[in-house]
Amino acid sequence: MSSAHPSRTLRILRSATFRLALFYAGLFVMSAGALFATVYVTATAAMQSDMQAVLRSEALQLAEINRSSGLLGLAQQITRRMNFRTRGPIYYLLQGPTGQVVVGNLPGMPPVEGVIDFMRDTANDEPETGRDRLTGFGLRLGDGSFLLVAQDASRLIDMQRAIVRAFIWAGGLTLLLAIGGGWLLGSNFVRRIDTIGRTSRAIMEGDLSARIPVRGTNDEIDQLVDGLNAMLERIQQLLDGLRQVTSDIAHDLRTPLGRLRQRLEDAREHATNTTEYAAATEAAIAEADSLLEIFSALLRIAQIEAGAQRSAFTEVDLSALMRSIGEAYAPAAEDSHHKLETSIADGVILTGDRQLLAQMVSNLVENALSHTPAGSAVRLALRTAGAGIEIEVSDNGPGIPEAERDKVFDRFYRLDRSRTTAGSGLGLALVKAIATLHGLSLRLEDRRPGLAVIAASA
Amino acid sequence: MKILLVEDDKQTADYIAKGLRQHGHVIDCADNGRDGLYLATGERYDVLIVDRNLPKMDGLSLVKAARTSGTTTPALFLTTMGGVDDRVEGLEAGADDYLVKPFAFAELLARVSALARRPPIAATTSLKVGDLELDLLSRNVMRASKRIELLAQELKILEYLMRHAGEVVTRTMLLEKVWDFHFDPKTNIVETHISRLRAKIDKGFDKPLLHTVRGAGYVIRAPE
Repeated sequence: MSSAHPSRTLRILRSATFRLALFYAGLFVMSAGALFATVYVTATAAMQSDMQAVLRSEALQLAEINRSSGLLGLAQQITRRMNFRTRGPIYYLLQGPTGQVVVGNLPGMPPVEGVIDFMRDTANDEPETGRDRLTGFGLRLGDGSFLLVAQDASRLIDMQRAIVRAFIWAGGLTLLLAIGGGWLLGSNFVRRIDTIGRTSRAIMEGDLSARIPVRGTNDEIDQLVDGLNAMLERIQQLLDGLRQVTSDIAHDLRTPLGRLRQRLEDAREHATNTTEYAAATEAAIAEADSLLEIFSALLRIAQIEAGAQRSAFTEVDLSALMRSIGEAYAPAAEDSHHKLETSIADGVILTGDRQLLAQMVSNLVENALSHTPAGSAVRLALRTAGAGIEIEVSDNGPGIPEAERDKVFDRFYRLDRSRTTAGSGLGLALVKAIATLHGLSLRLEDRRPGLAVIAASA
Repeated sequence: MKILLVEDDKQTADYIAKGLRQHGHVIDCADNGRDGLYLATGERYDVLIVDRNLPKMDGLSLVKAARTSGTTTPALFLTTMGGVDDRVEGLEAGADDYLVKPFAFAELLARVSALARRPPIAATTSLKVGDLELDLLSRNVMRASKRIELLAQELKILEYLMRHAGEVVTRTMLLEKVWDFHFDPKTNIVETHISRLRAKIDKGFDKPLLHTVRGAGYVIRAPE
């Protein structure tokens, strides 16, 4: 691949799937962050007020002891409690009325009542553990002495750290999963897009039969691929058709052109009088006319297949049209000793192009008249079938061999036995093009004896 | 008749002009749409023959512009083959008839003659050619006081021929006017109907009225 194309890694990173995965991971991390922040703040506040309540109740309890047992009793109690740490490290300070420390494991300080936060100088403790940050509850006792009960912030810090750790783990894992998953999905996506790209290059290089593989999961890409494959199929059909038509035209026009040339050459070499020249010109004109007719039919088919006429569609009274066609062909049928029967339902309206529909029915009638022996019956029928309509042209002639039925609607296709009769082999191709334009499906039915061509709307 | 021919292909123009002059018509030629419009609106013509594809101004625009400026001269469009919608477009633009190229000269001549404005037939209720009479109201056909029974399509053919009595009517013109078929059926629909019509109106009478013009079409005319 040329340098103009970004690397595969970059393409995966840029892929929509990868970006989507990252976007969702980001959203998740953000919402988790908000959740953790709330938990953090709430838990911290709850723990702090819990701590303060514990300290307050401890202080009041000790004040009660002071009232009942005096300062000495209180000092003994405090000493006991200092040695008996049931609820984590609790610090005590009891200062006498003059400010001297009576008992305690905190340095003396100016007495402050209520909740106080202060720092303790702890050179031996690790920093950041919170052991130097104390919260205390101060109480001035009746005799003027000061009691302080305090607790360090280590439990609070532990809890906060746990919350932050949990957040980092959860967020990190989410991001990791998102990047990994996004990468997988993205590379899968890029791989499938690459397959489509490879196939289209193969087609551009001439391999028209190449198709994009489907995974079979029927996801959006599969559906897209199905659509693309169907389009490729249609394009191939059209190109095959075009190729076929080109070679058919070349082949089928060579014969009449050759004849035309022969006639003119013959006239140049051998004609000796005006009568002979006139006859030769006459024959040449007839030959040229039949060539022009073939061209005109081909152009018409091409135009109809391009669907250009649909804009000119109007409501066509098919019943009246078919009756008029029946009347138009009646004398011709009589002259060729055919029985032309009509069975036409009233008031059948079809949205379409009147000219083209007339040509379609006429071609079918002409076909039936020209390919059945004298004495045969040709039937022209129009009927409604359910919500749709059916146009039928049938005969009791020799029919068409099963094997050739699919091909009779192809351009220039002629049954072997018809090779000798006049005709371009385009009549039924035109019929097919017109039927398709009008959304009519064509089918051939074996009538033993005979054949029915039925154009039916859905 | 004085006819304006607007056609850019010199060979086609010469072929048409030569043929029409041989039949006693006076032809002016223009090889582009602008000159054509100038002549069509400035001079008096009996018929305009206008090609669809023209340099400087296409045939459709020419006829539209001529009609807008009040020119009512009948116009015949020449179109290339295969254009299925051409006819409708041409008629919508204000043309009176159209002919698909390539065409037989006899076809062009017949159509030009049919288009030329003739004094309007005074509000008549019947058409007469010789001793043949078609009552337009009752749709009865009589020849020499003898009633002739005709089928619907035969009657339509007869009416068209009688309206253009003395003029050549081509097979294609009949297909278009009687059946509204603007394509060419392989079967000789017209011939078979004409032969039946002829059997009904001419058989048993001394002088035939309906004549076949070889290589061109049919004409109905009173015996000399």
